[in-house]
Amino acid sequence: MLKPQEMSSVIITGSKAMQEAVIRELHSMKIIHIVEHSKSGLADIGVPLENAAKLSEILVRIRALSAALGIKGDKTMLEAKSIPEIDSTAKKIAEELGIYTDELKKIDEFLSKSQASRRELEILKGISIPLESFASYRALAYFTGYIKSREIGSLKKELQKTTQKFMLFESADGGKAFIALFIDAKNKEDANGTLQKLNFSSVSFSSIQGQKGTAAKNLEKLEQESTRLLKRKGEIRKKIEKLAKEHRAFLAASDEFLGEQLEKAEAPLKFASTPSSFLIKGWIPSNDINKSIDRLNKAAKNRIFVHFEPAKKHDKVPVKLKNPAYAKPFEFFLDLYSIPSYREIDPTFFIFLTFPIFFGIMLGDMGYGVVSLAAFLLLRRKMPSTKNFFNILILASLVTVLFGLFFGEFFGYEFMHPVISREHEMFKLLYFSIAIGAIHVNIGLVLGFINELRSHGFMHAIYAKGSWIVLELGIALLALAYFRIILISPFIGAAFLGLSILMLLKGEGVKGLIELPSILTNIMSYARLMAIGLSSVILAVIVNEQAGEFFHKGGFFVLIGIIILVTGHAINIMLGLLGGFLHSLRLHYVEFFSKFFHGGAKKYLPFGSKE
Amino acid sequence: MAIETGLIAIGSGLAIGLSAIAAAIAEKEIGTAAVGAMAEKEELFGKGLILTVIPETIVIFGLVVAILILNLAK
Repeated sequence: MLKPQEMSSVIITGSKAMQEAVIRELHSMKIIHIVEHSKSGLADIGVPLENAAKLSEILVRIRALSAALGIKGDKTMLEAKSIPEIDSTAKKIAEELGIYTDELKKIDEFLSKSQASRRELEILKGISIPLESFASYRALAYFTGYIKSREIGSLKKELQKTTQKFMLFESADGGKAFIALFIDAKNKEDANGTLQKLNFSSVSFSSIQGQKGTAAKNLEKLEQESTRLLKRKGEIRKKIEKLAKEHRAFLAASDEFLGEQLEKAEAPLKFASTPSSFLIKGWIPSNDINKSIDRLNKAAKNRIFVHFEPAKKHDKVPVKLKNPAYAKPFEFFLDLYSIPSYREIDPTFFIFLTFPIFFGIMLGDMGYGVVSLAAFLLLRRKMPSTKNFFNILILASLVTVLFGLFFGEFFGYEFMHPVISREHEMFKLLYFSIAIGAIHVNIGLVLGFINELRSHGFMHAIYAKGSWIVLELGIALLALAYFRIILISPFIGAAFLGLSILMLLKGEGVKGLIELPSILTNIMSYARLMAIGLSSVILAVIVNEQAGEFFHKGGFFVLIGIIILVTGHAINIMLGLLGGFLHSLRLHYVEFFSKFFHGGAKKYLPFGSKE
Repeated sequence: MAIETGLIAIGSGLAIGLSAIAAAIAEKEIGTAAVGAMAEKEELFGKGLILTVIPETIVIFGLVVAILILNLAK
């Protein structure tokens, strides 16, 4: 609580012969946070173990197979086999899958090509000449395309003026007609001119080259072929699905197993290394250090050297937060924001204390609290992976029920005499909220004072953080004198104010002076505890009133009233949860954290653990 | 209803409405930038959220002032 887990820095060094044994032991202990070595004149980074290249090659193949078979994120209980076995099985699966995908590719190619020839055959369907007629001739020319149906007569007449040697095939297609005109090559130019006059639009046929017989017959054949191939495609898809089902467990297990092996094989990349020795720098929680070193020495048959010492002042220590089980879920908020550095206060416990309270004040309705409690209990069971998040919300919902009693609200109705009525005593609630704000911000300042005390000494802490408290005192005294609540000269308050400004100038420089008004806006910002709550209540009251009107009308209208009641409160609960959560979080991040929190530390991630 | 009451109501409405518009404009710009940053680096969610909600204080002040004005009508 308040302080992260104590860490010791560790240096492990030994000859290359021991490297693999050490890696294996460290990986199974899952205790050391390795600090990556960066290349320097003294020592290069290590070289991955021999099998790393092979491992990553197989892993890539396994992942490609998983992607092709649509397998992802499977958890499996299956024990992985040996690496050569994985390799050969993967190859076999890939081969089988390859046959299927090749065939699929061919079918798709054919289908896309047949689209074009189908379009052309559809046009030629109405004309009963064999397709091979559309070849190139020396003595014969032909035109294919569309003209208006009613122009066909005049076309014939025009053509007959120059020659009798032509054949005209036609098929009507609405107002247009498709024509195929075969004509003596000598009269090609004339025919072209005639056609142009009749607004002929030409169509060319390239996809049906080489086909024989009439278009209708070819079209039929094409349709048959397409349906056959589509059916075949379905069959292949099913086979692939079966393949995926069959090897799902194997692929997932191999992925996990190889990932682990590869992590071990590539670990030397984080080490410092000379041609014959290696050196690992890292951090181990101080509690576990002796036990860990014993295990390491045993694994390496005492042929390595391990040195450890507690963290020094300017070390960048990876941080493992340490909180009691009830406050642990609230570490989630620090993961979301930033991990506190090793030597500053871990605010998790304070968030645990105040987050549910702020949330409760804002939602503050017994009915809403009970509904959200039930919803989150259900969701926690449905989604165990986000248990921490729901634990936070469950606690917050419980506090909401308590504040529901405090405000005497049940789905917007005041069912009992409240301590403070949110609907009718806005100002009381406003003062209450701002008082909470003043307390919360001052807790933040005290934490900031402690942080400064630890890192920069007493005087700096007084100047940088104590000054804010003096400033608040000055403002308070001025206000008290102004409203004549206590009879003192306003100069006393002003003196405090001046003193605090001087202290701030010394502690934080000009930047601090610019920040001066922020203390007031920070505290005023807690007015949102009232504001969000107020809007939630008013919405609930409106929903109740609307529904009440329908209930009075009776009969069928009661049903409408119920619908309004349910949807209205459901929407209001949703808004209230979102608002309560975000604003409560914001009060911590912006108003509270800005008083003391630095953050920016690396999270403690032991080698071998899965994130 | 006396005309004064109406004017008070309008004043109160302006106090909350205008401050809400101001907060919305400020949040719009910050929000787009924050979402852009998050697309690049997901860990920035926490910081992005904070920066986005900072202007919300404006509208809270607006509400407080609106309530103070409304109180004049009593």
